[in-house]
Amino acid sequence: MITLDNVRKVFNQGRPNEQVAVRDASLAVEDGKVTVLKGPSGSGKTTLLSVIGCMARPTAGRIWLGDREITSLPERFLTGIRRQTFGFIFQQFNLIRGISAIENVMLPAYPNGEKYGLLRERAGGLLELFNLSAKSAAKVQFLSGGEAQRVAIARALINNPPVIVADEPTAHLDTKLSQEFMEIMDRLHREGRTIIIASHDPVVYASPLVDRTVEMRDGEIIS
Amino acid sequence: MAWTDKQRNVIDFTLSSLLRRKGKNAALVLVYTAVGFVLASVMLFTHALKREAGIVLRDAPEIVLQRMVAGRHDLMPSSYAGVVEKITGVSSVKPRLWGYYYDQLFRANYTLLVPDEFRYGEGDIIIGAGVARAGVTSEDNIMPFFGSDGKLVSFRVKEILPAESELVSSDMVMMGEADFRAFFNLPKDRVTDLAVSVANPLEVLTIATKIRQQLPDTRPVIREEIVRTYDAIFDWRSGIMLVILSGALLAFVIFAWDKASGLSAEEKREIGILKATGWETSDVLLMKFWEGMVISFTSFTAGLILAYVHVFFGSASLFEPVMKGWAVLYPEFRIVPFIDFYQIATLFFLTVVPYTTATVIPSWRAATVDPDAVMRT
Repeated sequence: MITLDNVRKVFNQGRPNEQVAVRDASLAVEDGKVTVLKGPSGSGKTTLLSVIGCMARPTAGRIWLGDREITSLPERFLTGIRRQTFGFIFQQFNLIRGISAIENVMLPAYPNGEKYGLLRERAGGLLELFNLSAKSAAKVQFLSGGEAQRVAIARALINNPPVIVADEPTAHLDTKLSQEFMEIMDRLHREGRTIIIASHDPVVYASPLVDRTVEMRDGEIIS
Repeated sequence: MAWTDKQRNVIDFTLSSLLRRKGKNAALVLVYTAVGFVLASVMLFTHALKREAGIVLRDAPEIVLQRMVAGRHDLMPSSYAGVVEKITGVSSVKPRLWGYYYDQLFRANYTLLVPDEFRYGEGDIIIGAGVARAGVTSEDNIMPFFGSDGKLVSFRVKEILPAESELVSSDMVMMGEADFRAFFNLPKDRVTDLAVSVANPLEVLTIATKIRQQLPDTRPVIREEIVRTYDAIFDWRSGIMLVILSGALLAFVIFAWDKASGLSAEEKREIGILKATGWETSDVLLMKFWEGMVISFTSFTAGLILAYVHVFFGSASLFEPVMKGWAVLYPEFRIVPFIDFYQIATLFFLTVVPYTTATVIPSWRAATVDPDAVMRT
């Protein structure tokens, strides 16, 4: 369970360009469920997702991961939690150009200090799972949108995290690929993982897979 | 060994990253290697020459006594040897005969001398390898010289000195005492200088002072002074080399600093991705450290190996005229390969450390960005 209590996130606090991205959000994300943060652009979905995924600290409020309060942990500990607990899928995929698909998949696991051979084998297994074995050595800039998306999902899974966090994952995909993405999420859900997606795409929030939809507007949770 | 595996994984990623910009990085390594090569060559060569000179001078007498007339070196009466011998602490005194000869035919200066023991007969000579090259002669050949009276004197070459000692023997012509005196028309009671041996090194200065008191028209030259002069000459020569090359070195420093310290937008974005996917700031810095190390250490090692080959196997042919030339006859010799770890460490700190630091420090700022920055762009 991930619990947020009156979380507030302000960017550029005290400056003329101060911006309140999330206002007093309280939320409980249940383990093993699919939760969608829904709302128009600028509603604070991505920021809330960052706070949930330990990428950003809230300006005010508290966050618990299970029984552990993680609100004010130093960066080192937050990084450790982020690496072990969360797998991230970004809107722009955020793959590193110029290196191969398999190297991109292995990237989040490098600081763990695992044996290179074992790590590569695991990354190869994930690519196989997503029918990308043939593209393993291909540079990511030469992959199609769907393939790049699947490489990004494989990368999110390399540390076998219990929680998958996806930010507008279908924004650059057509309907067929978006549905394919939801099928993969279904598979991960059935494996017992918690899935949190920020999206304003009906293919996502209207999917029968979704257990809970959290609607946001102007930085606030409205339902 | 999680630590070593982590280093290995990060290095693997660093190499993949570097290979993305093959041309640019290869050019950098090439220029860097050239700089390392020049610095290492000057360093190795200067040090090897100083060492060589030190070895040569190890067997030199503690004091060389010269006679001075009107502030200039003059021939010394043989009787002075007896005066010096009586000074307490002096273990031996050897009169020496040597001089210079300019060969007009080959336009070269030779050093003529009488060794302690000359095992050949009258009219025979032993010559250095440089003389043999200049005079295009070999053993058992006749070598013509013009004596002080302008008459032609011919000597028979009985031996050519081995190349190992060429640094000092290159321009040498050795002959018997009678030949030497006849050739230069030297009076029988005169020698060039005296080689004075002193048993206790702590007494050298005292003995030199005593000599000056008893023979005021002489100048004692102490071996330590010669060693210091050699050191100063070679340091000066290497300094000259570095001054000449400083423009190029400075250009490289600016180039390397710019390359290493400027992070492109793409590199900043990549650091953001690494942070977002679970890399700590220290992991990013570790990667940047390896990036700097891979480039600079590769160049340093390549430069050092090339310099080693250049100095010890190629006789430092590129710097020869500046570093070795003090006579018309350049000695052709191979310095004994020698590595001083203090020097290697100095070179390492001059090349590898600044570049690696220049790579890591600017990344610090980029690596401390919030990991969510990549989600907001």
